[in-house]
Amino acid sequence: MKKRALVIAPGRGTYNKPELGYLGRHHSDKNELIGEIDSFRAALGQTTISELDNRPAYSLKEHTRGDNASPLIYGCAYADFLSINRGKYDIVGVTGNSMGWYIALACAGALSFTSALTLINTMGGLMQDSLIGGQLIYPFIDENWQVKHDQKAELIGLIDEINAQQGAQLYISIMLGGMLVYGGNQNALSALKEKLPPLDDRFPLILPNHAAFHTPLQKPIAEQAQNIFNATMFQNPQTSLIDGRGHIWRPHACPAQDIFDYTLGHQVYEHYDFTSAVQVSVKEFAPDCLIILGPGTTLGGAVAQSLIEINWQDIGSKAEFSARQKADPYILAMGIDEQRSHVI
Amino acid sequence: MKDRTQIVHENFINRLKNNTMPETSGLVNIAHSGLSAEKLVELFESQVLSRQLDIYARKLQATGEGFYTIGSSGHEGLAGVAEALSLNDPAFLHYRDAAFFIQRSKQLSGQTPLWDMLQSFCASAKDPISGGRHKVLGSLALNIPPQTSTIASHLPKAVGTAFSIGLSRKIAHKANFDRKAIAVCSFGDASLNHSTAQGAINSAAWAGYRGAAMPILFICEDNGIGISTPTPHEWVKSNYQNNPHIKYFTCNGLNLLDSFKITHEAQNYVRREQKPAFLHFTCVRLYGHAGADAQQAYMSQADIEAREADDPLLHSANLLVKNNILSAGQALDIYGEIGFRVGASAKQAIKQPKLTTAAEVAASIIPPHKALSKQNTISAPSAQKRESSFGSDFKTMAQPQHMARLINWALHDLMLEQDHIILAGEDIGPKGGVYNVTAKLHKNFGGNRVINTLLDEQSILGLGIGLAQNNFLPIVEIQFLAYLHNAEDQLRGEAATLSYFSKGQYTNPMIIRIASLPYQRGFGGHFHNDNAIAVLRDIPGLIIACPSNGRDAVLMMREAVRLANEEQRIIAFLEPIALYMARDLHNEKDNGWTFDYPEPDSKDTIGLGEIHQHGTGTDLCIISYGNGYYLSRKAAKTLEEQHGVKLRVIDLRWLSPLNIQAAAKAAQDCQSILIVDECRETASLSEEIMTKLYEAISPAPIMKRITATDCFIPLGRAYASTLPSADSITQAALELTSTDTSTTQSGQTS
Repeated sequence: MKKRALVIAPGRGTYNKPELGYLGRHHSDKNELIGEIDSFRAALGQTTISELDNRPAYSLKEHTRGDNASPLIYGCAYADFLSINRGKYDIVGVTGNSMGWYIALACAGALSFTSALTLINTMGGLMQDSLIGGQLIYPFIDENWQVKHDQKAELIGLIDEINAQQGAQLYISIMLGGMLVYGGNQNALSALKEKLPPLDDRFPLILPNHAAFHTPLQKPIAEQAQNIFNATMFQNPQTSLIDGRGHIWRPHACPAQDIFDYTLGHQVYEHYDFTSAVQVSVKEFAPDCLIILGPGTTLGGAVAQSLIEINWQDIGSKAEFSARQKADPYILAMGIDEQRSHVI
Repeated sequence: MKDRTQIVHENFINRLKNNTMPETSGLVNIAHSGLSAEKLVELFESQVLSRQLDIYARKLQATGEGFYTIGSSGHEGLAGVAEALSLNDPAFLHYRDAAFFIQRSKQLSGQTPLWDMLQSFCASAKDPISGGRHKVLGSLALNIPPQTSTIASHLPKAVGTAFSIGLSRKIAHKANFDRKAIAVCSFGDASLNHSTAQGAINSAAWAGYRGAAMPILFICEDNGIGISTPTPHEWVKSNYQNNPHIKYFTCNGLNLLDSFKITHEAQNYVRREQKPAFLHFTCVRLYGHAGADAQQAYMSQADIEAREADDPLLHSANLLVKNNILSAGQALDIYGEIGFRVGASAKQAIKQPKLTTAAEVAASIIPPHKALSKQNTISAPSAQKRESSFGSDFKTMAQPQHMARLINWALHDLMLEQDHIILAGEDIGPKGGVYNVTAKLHKNFGGNRVINTLLDEQSILGLGIGLAQNNFLPIVEIQFLAYLHNAEDQLRGEAATLSYFSKGQYTNPMIIRIASLPYQRGFGGHFHNDNAIAVLRDIPGLIIACPSNGRDAVLMMREAVRLANEEQRIIAFLEPIALYMARDLHNEKDNGWTFDYPEPDSKDTIGLGEIHQHGTGTDLCIISYGNGYYLSRKAAKTLEEQHGVKLRVIDLRWLSPLNIQAAAKAAQDCQSILIVDECRETASLSEEIMTKLYEAISPAPIMKRITATDCFIPLGRAYASTLPSADSITQAALELTSTDTSTTQSGQTS
C-alpha cells in the first residue's frame, strides 16, 4: 500500500559546501528540466545553475547570493520532487520553508514550473539587489529539543527592547522549529548580537547574504514584485498547500488573486511560521511520512523540533526522534543519501 | 439491517455517480449569491469534513475509542452561515454546528479543526478547548465560547453578550469582543421551546424595544424533530415571522447559496440596526438523534428515506455541478480524500493522552488568575470627586450605620474607582432596590451602569455572564433567594462550567448579590424568606459569601470584587435581609449592630475563608453565619451573664468553600460545639460542618446542631416558628453544656 507523504520544500541556505554537485550526482536524468533553468538564466546573462553546481569549489560569496542560491535550490528541490517514487508515495500536501513556499507552489501545481522559475529568479534578484537588512538565528530548545518556554518568551521580548533603541528595526522573521530567526536592519542585529549569550560556538548566527526576509523591511520588494507579476500566473493547485501561516490552500478552493496576494504580500513582509506549517500539516493530513526535498540536511532538525513540540506520534524528544528514525523513519530527507534511497 | 450512516454515505456516492442529485430549491445560480466558485468549494469541503467527522465519531465509538455521537449531519449548511459572519462575532453554538466551527476556522490561519474535533470525540487531554472534559464546540481564537447547549441554556448569556457589546461602545474598558461585533446564537427547533430560550428571546426583544443596542442574531436550526418528537408543521415560522420586535429571516439550510445570502442579509440588518433578528434555518436531521437512538422506532421508513434524500451534501454537490464548478467525480474525490484524512488522523487522535485523575479533571474548575494586561484599570477618585458623588451621605459617613447603607456605600465607592463595574437587577435603578441597598447609585452612575432589568432571573444571570465574558465586572442582584431557583442553571450549567469546559480560557467572573434568608417579621412568607442554599453550595468553584453585619459586608464585598477582578471567580453574595436594617443587638437602641464604614483606603480586609471569632471561652463554641450568628450573639450574652457559660461564637462568613480548618482550630479547645443554622435541617450547611468537624477534630468534642425545621416559611406572626431563635439557641447550649449531657444530638430543636 502506498504511503501518504507530505512534501516539504527547503528554503535559502540549504545549498552549502557538501551540496556542491548535487544536480550532477542526483539528476543527470533531468537535463531538460535543468536546461530550461539554465537557458532562462543565460538569456538574462546570469550564471547557469549547472555552472554553479559544477564549480570545482564552493564559494560562499557566489553560491549564497540570492540571485544564485534561489534558482539553484529551486532546481535541486524541484528535481527531487520529480524523483519521488509515486508508486510508493501519494503526496497529500506540500509545504515549504521561506523561499521553499515558491517551490511548494510549483510542486503543487499552483504555479507552472516556468512561472515558479521566473518568480524565484526574480525574487532572488530583487532581494540580492536590495539586500535590505539581515537575519540572525538563535535557538530556544534544550538538549532534548524541547522548547524552553521562558527562553522563547525572552527572545521574543527582546524585540521590543531592541526596537526601543534609536534606528533599530527588529522583527520575527521565521519560527523555525526550535529556533527563532530574527530579521532586522544592521543596527538592530548588532544590538541583538550583543544581547544574546554565545551558545554552542554557533549562536547567535548571522546568516550570510540573507536579507531581513519576511519582515516589514521587505515591503518595497513586495511592491516591486506585485508590479512585475499578476495573479494570472497562478492556477488551480493539484495538491493541498500549507503556507507560512499554517493556512491550507485547497485545490478548487484557491482563488488566484488570494494566493497571489499572500505570496507577494504577507509572505514577503510578515513573519513565516514554518513551525505552524509543519504542525498544521501533520494534524490535518496525518501523513505516513514527511519527505523533505533536497538540497541540504539542515531542515530536518526544525521539522523534528516542530513535531516534538506537539508530541506528534509520541515523538517527544530528540532521543525519541532518533529512535523513531532508526526503527521506521518518519522524516525522509532527500538531501541525506540513505533516506533518499527510501524515496526514489 | 444496515446502519443509516452507511446508507447515507452510499447514497451520496451512488447519486453522484449516477447523476441523480435532488432538485435544490431557492437560489441556485452562484452569480446571484455573492459567493465565488472557489468559496463554494471551500464551503462544500467544510460540509464534507463535518460529515466525515460524524461518520468517524460513530466508528470511534464502536471501537470504544470515541465518546460522543450527536452529530451535525443534515445541518452542514451552517458552513454558509459561518461564512456570512465575521470571525469577531462571538458565536454561541448549537451542538450540531460542526460545519460552522470548521468554516469559521478557515477565517483564521493556523487552525486545525479536523484534529481538534477528533480529539474532542476521543476525550483527549490535548483537546484544545475542553482538555478532554467534554465534547464541546469552542475556541478562544475563533470567538466561539464553549457550552453544551443541550437545553438552550446558552441563549440568556448570548443576549447578555449582545448587550455587553453595545455597552462597550459607551463605557471604556478592556473589552474582549470587537465593539462592532454582533452576537450569534444557534439552537434547534426543539430547544426553542425551552422556557430559557423563550425568556432570552423575549429579553432581547424587550431590550431592543426599549432602544438598547441588542445586536444578536438568533439562528433556529429547524430539522423538524426533537429527539423523537416532531415539531408541528410550520410551528417555528408561525411563531416568529410576525414578531414586531425581532426581524424574521428564513433560508433553505439545504442550499449553501441561500444560507449564505440570507445570513448575510440578516447579519447586515443586525449590525446596521443593532436590533435582534431571527434566522429560521430549515434543514434535516440525518441518522438518529445520537448514535444510540434508533429512529425507526418513532419514524416511518418513508420519512427516514425522505430526509436522507434531502442530504445537504447532495444539494451542495448539485449546486457545484450545475454551476460548472466541479464535476460529480471531483466532488466525490473531495469527499473521499477528506474521509481518508479523517481516518488517518483518527488513528493518531485515539493515541492522545486522556485525563485520568480527579485532580486533572477538576483542574480547570477554578480559573487561572487574570493576566495583568487584561485587568481593567482601577483608579481611586479624588477626595473632592468622592465627596461630591456621595453628596449628603458624605456627612453621615463618620457615624455607624446598618448593613444596607454600608453595602450601598461600598458599591458606590467601588463604582467610583472601577468603571467596568455594572450593576443589574430588578428595581435596582431609581427605586434603589427593595431594601434601598442600591439607593442613589442610578442617579450617580446612570442607567448604563445601574441597569433596571426586566423581571426574569434567567435573563439577569445571562446578562451577568455576557457582561463578564466581555470583561465587565457585573454585580447582579437577585431580588430574593427564592427567585434564584427558576434560574439557577444559569449559574450551575453555564457560569460555573465555563472555565471547566474551556481549560480556563473563557471565564465569567461576577458577583451575584442575593437578598436572602429568613426572619423578616411577618413579611413575605416563603418566597421572600427562603432559607435553603444547597442549590448554591454544591456548585463546584462557586464562592458563597454571607456577611452577618455591615462592616463585614463592606470588606467582603471588596474581597469579592478583588476575587472577580484578579482571580476570575464567581461569587454568590448572600445578604441577610433581616439584618439589612438591624441596628440593635441586645437592647432597643443599643446600636450594637451598627458599624463604622471602613474607608476605601482602609487596611482592614477580610480575605476569602477568613472567619471571625467572638469571645474566648472554652465551655462552648457556637458556629454559625448570617442571622444565626446574630442570634447566637444575643444568646451568648444570656449564656454568659445568666448561666456562667464561658463561650466563643464563630462567624463563618464564607460558606463555600468552607474553611473547616479555621473553624476546627477555633473550636477544638472547647468542650462542646453548637452549630446554629437558620437553613433547613436537611441539606443545610450544618450537615457539612458537623461532618467535617468530626473528620477534623479527634477526639471530637460533644456536638449538636440547631437548624430550621424542614418546612417553608409562613406568613404573619408565625414567621419565625420554624427557625432557631435566641431562646432556642440558649436552650440548646444549656443542654449541651450541662454536666449530664454526654451524647451528641442532631436535628432541629426549636
